[in-house]
Amino acid sequence: MRTSPANIASAILTYGFVGLMAFLSVFPFIWMALGATNSSIDIIKGRLAPGEALATNIANFFTLVNVPLVFWNSAKVTIFATVLTLAVSSLAGYGFEIFRSRHRERLYRAMLLTLMIPFAALMIPLFIMVGKMGLINTHIAVVLPTIGSAFIVFYFRQSTKAFPSELRDAAKVDGLKEWQIFLYIYVPVMRSTYAAAFIIVFMTAWNNYLWPLIVLQSNETKTITLVISSLASAYYPDYGVVMVGTILATLPTLAVFFFMQRQFVQGMLGSVK
Amino acid sequence: MSELQLSNVRKSYGGLEVIKGVDLDIKSGEFVVFVGPSGCGKSTLLRMIAGLEEITSGDLTIDDIRMNDVDPSKRGIAMVFQSYALYPHMTVRENMGFALRFAGIPKAEIEKRVSEAANILELGPLLERKPKQLSGGQRQRVAIGRAIVRHPKIFLFDEPLSNLDAELRVHMRIEIARLHKQLAATIIYVTHDQVEAMTLADKIVVMRGGVVEQIGSPLDLYDDPANLFVAGFIGSPKMNFLKGVIETGDGGTFTRLSDYGDAKIPVGLTGATPGTAVTVGIRPEHFKETGTAALDLTIDMLEHLGGETFAYARHGNGELVVIETKNGRGLKSGDRIAARFDPACALLFDADGKRLR
Repeated sequence: MRTSPANIASAILTYGFVGLMAFLSVFPFIWMALGATNSSIDIIKGRLAPGEALATNIANFFTLVNVPLVFWNSAKVTIFATVLTLAVSSLAGYGFEIFRSRHRERLYRAMLLTLMIPFAALMIPLFIMVGKMGLINTHIAVVLPTIGSAFIVFYFRQSTKAFPSELRDAAKVDGLKEWQIFLYIYVPVMRSTYAAAFIIVFMTAWNNYLWPLIVLQSNETKTITLVISSLASAYYPDYGVVMVGTILATLPTLAVFFFMQRQFVQGMLGSVK
Repeated sequence: MSELQLSNVRKSYGGLEVIKGVDLDIKSGEFVVFVGPSGCGKSTLLRMIAGLEEITSGDLTIDDIRMNDVDPSKRGIAMVFQSYALYPHMTVRENMGFALRFAGIPKAEIEKRVSEAANILELGPLLERKPKQLSGGQRQRVAIGRAIVRHPKIFLFDEPLSNLDAELRVHMRIEIARLHKQLAATIIYVTHDQVEAMTLADKIVVMRGGVVEQIGSPLDLYDDPANLFVAGFIGSPKMNFLKGVIETGDGGTFTRLSDYGDAKIPVGLTGATPGTAVTVGIRPEHFKETGTAALDLTIDMLEHLGGETFAYARHGNGELVVIETKNGRGLKSGDRIAARFDPACALLFDADGKRLR
């Protein structure tokens, strides 16, 4: 590349922008990690250096929060939501792409339109529905509205376009029924797509806040996001403790992402090559 | 081994008819090739036989049993696909035994059949590999092995060689011919490559626009095509077609080729009406140094293949005529030649393309 003034200016702008974005992405994590080692007062003062309050903050967090129960609640809700969302949405995506019908596209578009409705608009009717079903303050109420995800159906349908139709034909000639083709051929062939969808759904479910806040009302059912929120909204919040909770809450999603990073990238590029 | 009949078989997608009444008898052990240009319906017809496409009307019978509504896996067929359609998450062994596992065949029997097929196709060392670790030719052999283990009545091949390079294609063509001999199997094979059709088939079915144009042995179709389409489709380079008009004169009935200096070709037809517009078909290899009929041509371009030469020549600004000659090394572009041929080798077609005999 020639080093003309225009090129240098363009490079400075590009790197400047990328650097700013990187800073904005990474700074909250750094602040969170440093905050966990500082006292609440130091955090409020804006101290951005490692402190000596880590052990105290951890001890306070474990005193204030029933950690095993809260993590168990979050894990239960997340695992059920993830498994059910993947099962239901992948079946729907497969069905939308594979089976032809006169109403297919209309139905699909109608489903995609639901992406435009903000959750705040659905909250109240959903609460009334769940209330009528007697599910308030249960984990089923948290999981149920999330499993038919329009975005994940869309993602699976798009990915299914790359699934070779000859594999279905070969499986039919081999004597497989439609559900067996899905289970024994489609699912293993599309495993990278499932991995990518797993990460997206897992993170969404683990970080889910608003809906659980509405339907979970007792301390025994609350998830980690609700507990952190209640710590932060106390009369005298201990931000050091909040930061410790936030770090602990981040660990599972980080672990899932790092373990499945390769499949995630492959899934985003397409399972079938 | 098994017999198959198609009786007035049709296929429509909504109002669009793509297979327009096919009648066909395939005898036990026959190697039948469906050939035709893209979109002629040959693959659709094969998929209808396989049960992957519904038959709109007509009957498909295998061993005298109507199969129209029978599940693909119960028809006694096995299919080899163009893209091989190997299950990417399974090893070669698992791919080959998969159908048998679903058919409830005991494990020991599956192992026996897989080993037998692996021996026939020399796949023994590859059995634990995944498809992505195989070359194109090896994948093709696995796809054939997957068909063999099922002991089908009829093998269906859907353009199985079109994804291979030229050298491998020739090799696999010979392998498939050997396999046919070894298994004495009934095979239906779809291709758009007429060389594959000519070299493999006992019987060729030439299709166009969902209609069977002609059925016959390769040499019958080559020597005695029923119409202009078959004459042009079978043979490479394709047959030369020259426009002419039937006339009568002192020497009897002849075809005058006004685009070729009013050359006259004697016609051995009885009842040919003077004034009828016809097309004269001459294969490139039928041009000789001797012959009673001749065309005055100028060579435009030459293709030297070593053993023979293809000369592309024309009269004036007329269409190119392809001439095959064994003695073409001394020829060069711009040479004027008298392309002679025996009129008995020339085929005549009427204005609708039907053969005049």
